[in-house]
Amino acid sequence: MNTVVCMKQVPDTETLIKINPEGTGIVTEGIKWVMCPYDEYAVEEALQQKEKFKAGKVTIVSLGPDRAIEAIRTGLAMGADTAVHINDAAFYEKADPYATAAALAAAVKDLEYDAIFCGKQAIDDDSGQVPAILGELLGLPVVTLVVKLEVSEDKTKAVATREVEGGHAVVEVSLPAIFSAQKGLNEPRYASLPGIMKAKKKPVDVKTVSDLGVSVEPMTAIKEMSLPPARQAGKILEGEDAVEKAKALAKALHEEAKLI
Amino acid sequence: MDVSKLITRQVFWNLVGKGFPVAQVVVYIIALVVIGLFFWSLSRSGFFTRFKMWRLATGTDVARLDKPWSRFWYAVADVFAHRKILREPYQGIFHFFIFWGFFILLIGTAIVALQSDIVEPIWHVWFWQGDFYLWYSVVTDIGGAIAIIGALMALARRYFFRPKWLDNRPEDIYILWFIVAVLVTGFLVEGLRMQATEVQPGNLMHPYVWYSPVGRLFAYMFAGMGIPAIKVTHKALWWTHMALAMLFIVYIAWSKLLHMFVTPVNIFLRNRTGQPHLKLIPPEAFETAETFGVHNVEEYSWKDLFDSEACMRCGRCVEVCPAFNTDKPLAPRDVIQDIREYLEKKAKFAIDPTSGQARIIPDEEYEGPALIGDTIEKDTIWACTTCMACVEACPAYIEQFPKLIDLRRYLVMMEADFPSEVQEVFKGMENNSNPWSIGAHTRADWAKGLDVPLMSEKGQAEYLFFVGCAGAFDDRNKKVATALVKLFNAAGLDYAILGTEEGCCGDSAKRIGNEYLYQALAQANIETFKAYNVKKIITMCPHGYNILKNEYSELGGDYEVYHYIQILNDLIKSGKIELKKPVEGLGTITYHDSCYIGRYNKVYDEPRDVIRSLNSGSLVEMKSNREKSLCCGAGGGRMWMEETLGTRINQKRTQEAIDAGAKTICTLCPFCLTMLSDGIKELEKDEEMQAFDISELVLKAAGIE
Repeated sequence: MNTVVCMKQVPDTETLIKINPEGTGIVTEGIKWVMCPYDEYAVEEALQQKEKFKAGKVTIVSLGPDRAIEAIRTGLAMGADTAVHINDAAFYEKADPYATAAALAAAVKDLEYDAIFCGKQAIDDDSGQVPAILGELLGLPVVTLVVKLEVSEDKTKAVATREVEGGHAVVEVSLPAIFSAQKGLNEPRYASLPGIMKAKKKPVDVKTVSDLGVSVEPMTAIKEMSLPPARQAGKILEGEDAVEKAKALAKALHEEAKLI
Repeated sequence: MDVSKLITRQVFWNLVGKGFPVAQVVVYIIALVVIGLFFWSLSRSGFFTRFKMWRLATGTDVARLDKPWSRFWYAVADVFAHRKILREPYQGIFHFFIFWGFFILLIGTAIVALQSDIVEPIWHVWFWQGDFYLWYSVVTDIGGAIAIIGALMALARRYFFRPKWLDNRPEDIYILWFIVAVLVTGFLVEGLRMQATEVQPGNLMHPYVWYSPVGRLFAYMFAGMGIPAIKVTHKALWWTHMALAMLFIVYIAWSKLLHMFVTPVNIFLRNRTGQPHLKLIPPEAFETAETFGVHNVEEYSWKDLFDSEACMRCGRCVEVCPAFNTDKPLAPRDVIQDIREYLEKKAKFAIDPTSGQARIIPDEEYEGPALIGDTIEKDTIWACTTCMACVEACPAYIEQFPKLIDLRRYLVMMEADFPSEVQEVFKGMENNSNPWSIGAHTRADWAKGLDVPLMSEKGQAEYLFFVGCAGAFDDRNKKVATALVKLFNAAGLDYAILGTEEGCCGDSAKRIGNEYLYQALAQANIETFKAYNVKKIITMCPHGYNILKNEYSELGGDYEVYHYIQILNDLIKSGKIELKKPVEGLGTITYHDSCYIGRYNKVYDEPRDVIRSLNSGSLVEMKSNREKSLCCGAGGGRMWMEETLGTRINQKRTQEAIDAGAKTICTLCPFCLTMLSDGIKELEKDEEMQAFDISELVLKAAGIE
């Protein structure tokens, strides 16, 4: 089974995020970058499908500046076969979900695939739109928030279990299709040392958006970005006994927090 | 020569007459045959084949033959003084008795042979007489007696109070009865001879019979017998004794008795570094080597394989193993024995039937049992806390647990096969240089407002205080780091921390088997140390202490490393830290020896000295302490793994503190502190017991806010 994984390199969840002076994005220096955790599920699923069918190729496609190669190598170390790196810092800088999806669609178009896997969202901008727009651009069905996937023997259709509010929905879809991975789909593997070493030698096709013939303009632009307010210190309620303290709590919830 | 007027006895009495000494010649013929049989047995039992297999092993090792004379004398002293064997009093004494009993009898027999078959025929001198003979007689009699007592003590343990960690194979019992039989028949022969020739008041030797005390007692058994009956019985028993003794020699080659030759060799080959040996993987090997760790038995070093020969299943390693004692599927002895059985089956090796040459069967042709899984189970491999108790306990100087780390290395680096919870730990170390996966930029947050000098601001300091991940990221242990810098500040110590430039020391990564990750972490620290020209380092954590002190040097980092307890001990003794008042409410205190400060680095007294100097409560020892201290359960990367098999090690250790009557458990290791604090809570003793790091108590006693 041939698959494509759309992957984004994002800041590590624990890294220190600062807003740039213009207030339109984050300071990218001094940040630890990693593969988006949801994309790890996508890579793992592609690898598991390949292993199940004992044939096929997994191609990683990623839009990002030079540094994105590290996350691409991570995916290759996990076991992906090749990669396309759309290395276009200027385009990436302004890219909104639509522009991103357009670039990815142009890169994917010429590849052979039975399915495309994406993370359900990138954990940096959290838009969650790329899989759907990509489906629209490529004319493919999209199944989002997949937690289980079974592909038929002849690779013409798949049964996907989606996570929906309070339960699960089982969806049948014809292939090729796009699946966005939700936590629970699998346990992403840790790259073995031979995997890491082999990844250094695997082919990565580096392209700019103009190489791909993409000339779209983003439809949205970030006007302002801000950090959440610093967390206030907790308050310890005084009181002689439990009754006193409960009264003080009720009062605080009513008057200060305005919750009751 | 006429010896009938001397204080001595006739050799081969009742067996050799006036004519040609047939029996004497026969004995020599038998002895030659037995020596031949001994070597034939070694060959048949596969010893020489295994020797060929050891030689094919490819794994690297530390030097094993350097300083041969020092090694030789160490081994001689160890064997004769039973230094390690006597650490266990009961087993130590019975082994000492059997060893020395047989050694005396060996020398005694050699003296007789020298007298009767060399000195007398050539020079016609009889030195075996008079006072010398009487001394000889007493000493050899006592030798035989203590050997019997030793064997009976061992039998009693096998039959009546066998500990659960002592496995019992039929040969274990046979060997002991064999020893008893050889010695008792010897004394029966002596008793018969004495009854016939010495105990009668008219006998020349009569005044000296008690110089053969055991023989004299045995002679009473035959007091009523006539001389002809004695002679017949004596002859029969003498040949029985001879046959048993000769069979015994042959049996050595077939049984664990071979340890009398192999184990001293293993002591000679001991690891002189004092640190359990984890194979060096040179950094450049990561780019070139095909495989890492051990997956095939031949990837062990020859010494790893030889270790399996030196093991005679005494079980001391099992007795002290925290994993075994909490019902996990790990007994260090069994790991060694499993490797031995694997070799005995000649798995992975093919022996050419005509030339007898051994060769390794390549992986693609090999269909036999695998080393990992079929021979040593994965649960066994992951159960080890690397506490070193097994290595410390082993009287044969076998290094048990490093063989598991070799297997972990293969599983982790080649197969990415490890307990799933470890993946987050590796990623945390990779992305944020700490196993908690907390943002690396927050590493120095604990020090805010504490007036802690930063290396980047100070430029240079006498000591680098290497805080470590626990002190920097774990809330409980941040308090320990805080206590330490307050003490350092109060004592006017010239130190600085690296702040966010510090990285994970890599101990957990290394012990889990991720040498690749460890070296990346270590290299990063070494670079930083170099930038600040660091010479002396104080660590808060024994794991960092051990790895910086003993293992960074392999990667080019050589420093003078101290654990904080050594520094505090000095500062207290020199009066730079004044302990003004006892700490209230500690009650009876016990000290938990961290494995990596105790067994690994032999720091046992400083922590106890500091606790005593607090003057805040009496110090009691737990059942297992110092060299035999029980691990808290967190070493070897176990800190980061679920403990799903058996019972919990930290609870067992906490229970030891409870049993010792302690109200306060003192530690100097962040992992131990975490594990024992949890143990107190889990055993619902948090109302009456507490766990502290020693530095916290020193801070209180010094009255520093």
